[in-house]
Amino acid sequence: MAQTNLAKKNRTRELLVALLPVAALLVLFGALCLTVNLKGYRLDMYLKIVFNEGVVLAVVATGAIFIYSLGSFDISLGASTLFSAAIGVMVYNSTQSLPLMICTIFGVAIGCSLLSSVLASVFHIPVFVTTVAMMSVLSAVAAQIITANGGALGGIGIPATVVAPLDNVPFKLIALLVFTLICVFVFDFTKIGRRLKFLGSNPVCAKLSGIKVNVYAIVAFVMAGLGVGLGAFLTLVYTPSVTPTTAGSIGMNILVAIVFGGMPISGGSRSRIYAALVGGFSYILLNNILKIVIDSGAGYGISQIVSAVFFLAVVYVTSMNYRTKLLPR
Amino acid sequence: MEPILTMKHIRKTFSSTVALGDVSLELWPGEVRGLIGENGSGKSTISSIAAGMQKPDSGEMIFQGQPWAPKSMIDALHRGIGMIVQESGTISGVTVAENIFLAELDQFKRFGVIDRRAMNRKADEALAGIGVKDVQGSTPLAALDFQARKLVEIAKVVMKQPQILVVDETTTALSQTGRDILYDVIKRFRSEGRAVLFISHDLEEIMDVCDTLTVLRDGARIRDFKKEEFEPDAIRTSMIGRELQGDYYRSDFTPSRLEEIALKARHLQSGGALKDVSIDFHKGEIVGIGGLSHCGMHSLGKVLFGAEKPESGSVTTADGTKITNETVAMKHGIGYVAKDRDVESLALNTSIRDNIAIAGMERYALGNFLVTNAKEKPYVDRQIESLSIKCAGRDQLVSQLSGGNKQKVVFGKWIGRGSEILILDCPTRGVDIGVKKAMYELMTSLKKEGKAIIMISEELPELMGMADRLIIMKDGVVMKEFPRSESLSDAEIIKYMI
Ligand SMILES: Nc1ncnc2c1ncn2[C@@H]1O[C@H](COP(=O)(O)OP(=O)(O)OP(=O)(O)O)[C@@H](O)[C@H]1O
Ligand SMILES: [Mg+2]
Repeated sequence: MAQTNLAKKNRTRELLVALLPVAALLVLFGALCLTVNLKGYRLDMYLKIVFNEGVVLAVVATGAIFIYSLGSFDISLGASTLFSAAIGVMVYNSTQSLPLMICTIFGVAIGCSLLSSVLASVFHIPVFVTTVAMMSVLSAVAAQIITANGGALGGIGIPATVVAPLDNVPFKLIALLVFTLICVFVFDFTKIGRRLKFLGSNPVCAKLSGIKVNVYAIVAFVMAGLGVGLGAFLTLVYTPSVTPTTAGSIGMNILVAIVFGGMPISGGSRSRIYAALVGGFSYILLNNILKIVIDSGAGYGISQIVSAVFFLAVVYVTSMNYRTKLLPR
Repeated sequence: MEPILTMKHIRKTFSSTVALGDVSLELWPGEVRGLIGENGSGKSTISSIAAGMQKPDSGEMIFQGQPWAPKSMIDALHRGIGMIVQESGTISGVTVAENIFLAELDQFKRFGVIDRRAMNRKADEALAGIGVKDVQGSTPLAALDFQARKLVEIAKVVMKQPQILVVDETTTALSQTGRDILYDVIKRFRSEGRAVLFISHDLEEIMDVCDTLTVLRDGARIRDFKKEEFEPDAIRTSMIGRELQGDYYRSDFTPSRLEEIALKARHLQSGGALKDVSIDFHKGEIVGIGGLSHCGMHSLGKVLFGAEKPESGSVTTADGTKITNETVAMKHGIGYVAKDRDVESLALNTSIRDNIAIAGMERYALGNFLVTNAKEKPYVDRQIESLSIKCAGRDQLVSQLSGGNKQKVVFGKWIGRGSEILILDCPTRGVDIGVKKAMYELMTSLKKEGKAIIMISEELPELMGMADRLIIMKDGVVMKEFPRSESLSDAEIIKYMI
């Protein structure tokens, strides 16, 4: 009797811990409403910004979960979002075909991901090197394309009317939802996803369980490429023009978002798709709150520092929890 | 005379699991006390509480007349209680010397730089102090095998001259040479009036090494035995709470096997580990492979599974397929229980379910792709039940299981998927006699089903007791093959090992 009570208490505690990121999301939402109101800004405008930025970050981060579950990471995803969007714009402008543009965006995004994964897994270059290199190369090339074709405006774009029919909440919500469901399905209900998570938990044991490490690394990067493709497309739907700073910070923000969402950066079996969803929106909320509160008063950049400190605190707490479970027995 | 350590009414729970109900224990000067009990009975828990690895929920400890509440294992070691843990207690990224002096690198600092020569020299001394000569302080730990790592750990603890040495289920990972080193250390502790708490599942060993014996069952102290009361059947009965038939090895002494060959090794060559090894493994046959720790048998296991590439030579299955990697091996029904359980056989921070399912998914995934709860849960539960894994449920993390129960999870992982060829490296390491018996029975019935079993082991009695054919290796060479026979003797076999 006492035992079942104890077990119940324990389960409740675990549930509470799991719900913590959701609670944080709600608190941040309340905080945004409050600050916007106090400043006398328009709430509907801010909610629109948060929604649009949040959807893109959440989509890219959801795809990225596959990479992070391996205990690996990729900060070049922002640059490849920019790159695929830029190429997509170029393709549209020379063919006037929306389907072709969409295919190109996904093709380029997956291509970039494949390149990263081949460099990392087949040639055994450390991820940390390939991802930084990819980031620099992709954003440089994209910037080159944009300035070469954008002229004095500093940006290239497609006519707003092309994507206007899609620039609404239902379409974006459905896109986000469908992609999330696909990812949850692959991640939790297929052999591929289960093996990916196991690989993240213990690569040595995974190899000895017949899991081909390279193959699964490539699968993970392809899934991330899908997220990048969708993210790039949604970016174009929201703002039909691309500048060299578009999606620039997404690469780092994903990392923060995933941790905010309650997933350990070491990956493994505690990886969750919803971490990207919850964390993505939390991060965008926090970012906008900080922008309102700090940047309007003090100098620019402080909000970055505050969110970095926040990030380190979250990482520290989660990793502490993780370390205590590693006692040798 | 006062006890060195008194533990009174120790209680320890992990959420719903009561690991220790109310256990009291004393250790006297010059005493070597054995601790025995089934898997999950609380042996590691009580001893790791004494050694500062975890704290009791309640209870009192007195060490050398003072209240005892160490902050950590390192703290405990410095103040007089050292422990050799059940799994690897060393770190593989650094050298032997750094492992030994991990917590006290400062003492070798000259002007802010660590004097490696001095540290390596001290490490060599510590190793020589327990009689280990072939391991150097400057060697990277990763270059050592499991046994050598254990010896490094022993040297590290003994060097601190603790009053109490706790040895948790270490000997089954050691070959005879390693064991002798440890036994010498234990004797020295006894003669110097210090004390040892010795945990083992090997009844003969524990009766040999210990002066007194405490039996734990389900987190409770059941009974103490003095040396003159030692009697295997009585100890076994008090361990499991009912009688267990005396012998658990195979009762027949005629070797048998099917004509058909399951796996063929040809001219395997691999550095110093394997030298021109050729063996046929038949269906329905248990092949035992024995030798000293360095004899190459552990490498052979890896090579047979495709996990290690030989420099030359080949491993082929009955249909002529070459085994070149683990994936191919598994496709052809080969399973491999590795020796280094916590690193190679399990993902610790993952559930029992994931660990068992990872190798067996093909069996129930729809289209070899879709994994559903409806299929997976019963599959996992079947393994938990048939191996009677003691756990809070299939979703419990493997890291929370006792050593023997972890081993059962590994068994479930490979047996559940219906492996046709099983390579077992030290399969009964750390499992209690009841489970051992069950595992041996399982091996016998798998043999009857026509499966090929390759059992690599440091335990000669187990090899002699189970194998149809016993292969003895030395320095990477197959020295001798013995067919199963009643007249086989230890002495004759050991001749070919050393
Ligand atoms: N961190 C933990 N979380 C949950 N349960 C635990 C934890 N550590 C131990 N237990 C449980 O406590 C019980 C006692 O475990 P302990 O490791 O002391 O057993 P043991 O006697 O050493 O067994 P073995 O012979 O298998 O090593 C087991 O049921 C085990 O599952
Ligand atoms: Mg134990």
